[in-house]
Amino acid sequence: MSTHPCPYEEAVARAARGGDWSPELEAHRDGCLTCAELTLVVAALAADAEELAGLDAPLPDPGALWLRARLATRERDFQRATRAIVWVQRATVAAVLAVGIAFAPGLWGLVSGLFSGLDLSFSTPDLPRAAGSPLLVMIVSILVLGGLALWELTITQEN
Amino acid sequence: MDEAAFRHLYDRTARPLRAYLVRSCGDLALADDLLQEAYLRMLRSGFEGEDDNHRKNYLFRIATNLLRDHFRRKKPESAEVPELDGSPGHDEAIHLRSDVGSAMSELAPRDRQMLWLAYVEGASHQEIAKALGLRTASIRSMLFRARQRLAKALQSKGLRPELEVS
Repeated sequence: MSTHPCPYEEAVARAARGGDWSPELEAHRDGCLTCAELTLVVAALAADAEELAGLDAPLPDPGALWLRARLATRERDFQRATRAIVWVQRATVAAVLAVGIAFAPGLWGLVSGLFSGLDLSFSTPDLPRAAGSPLLVMIVSILVLGGLALWELTITQEN
Repeated sequence: MDEAAFRHLYDRTARPLRAYLVRSCGDLALADDLLQEAYLRMLRSGFEGEDDNHRKNYLFRIATNLLRDHFRRKKPESAEVPELDGSPGHDEAIHLRSDVGSAMSELAPRDRQMLWLAYVEGASHQEIAKALGLRTASIRSMLFRARQRLAKALQSKGLRPELEVS
């Protein structure tokens, strides 16, 4: 009786699983402790597997699993699709900032030159004084639009 | 893969996969959770496979990874091998129903998985190595030792090789 790995192990395991014993293999198994142990283990596990496969507890519903997987796939596709939009938004903001910084001194000269020729001294007694300033209107518009763009960008990233 | 193909695969593989998970983790509720996660991962991955056997092997590999993650997460709480799980939802009957179950629970999770894959699922050494993240060359000796431990545990419960040999 041996207790070391045996060259017949694979053949014995196959026979024990399938029940297809040749007389030679059977004779070998009866004289080899390793193969006898292997047969015991395979037979025990097969019986256990059969018992577990016959458990009364119902299996999870495959239809629900399929739906969950479809939803997850759609979610992933949505993320992939919107990722490009987010990157375009980021690139746009970066480009606008870069252009703004690069041309700021020149733009400022242009804007101040434009406004120096305007007559800003007309009076609008029914409106608050600040409402009559085009420069202020422009600054407020840029701030509001910039804020909206940043808010939109943040929301998209969170989603 | 369309829904009909998935249902066909599920009908063919769900019970053996659950048996593997139950015997590896000892908890029916957890096994069902891991089972669902394994199928979801397979579907999300878009894996098609060459045939049903290929898809089944892939599923068992995912399930083995899920088990490994589960045991890894569990380890800090208790350094002991997760055997008879005392968590809610544990179906003690699964262990008590058979001597094999209680003998298996005496082994380390990796030994249980290795033995199950080899002798119930008939996986090759290469497939076992792939599923468990081990070297193929090590499987033979590891399997031999795991088998000896299980045989010893079975014998301590009164099952002898001679009794099983027909």
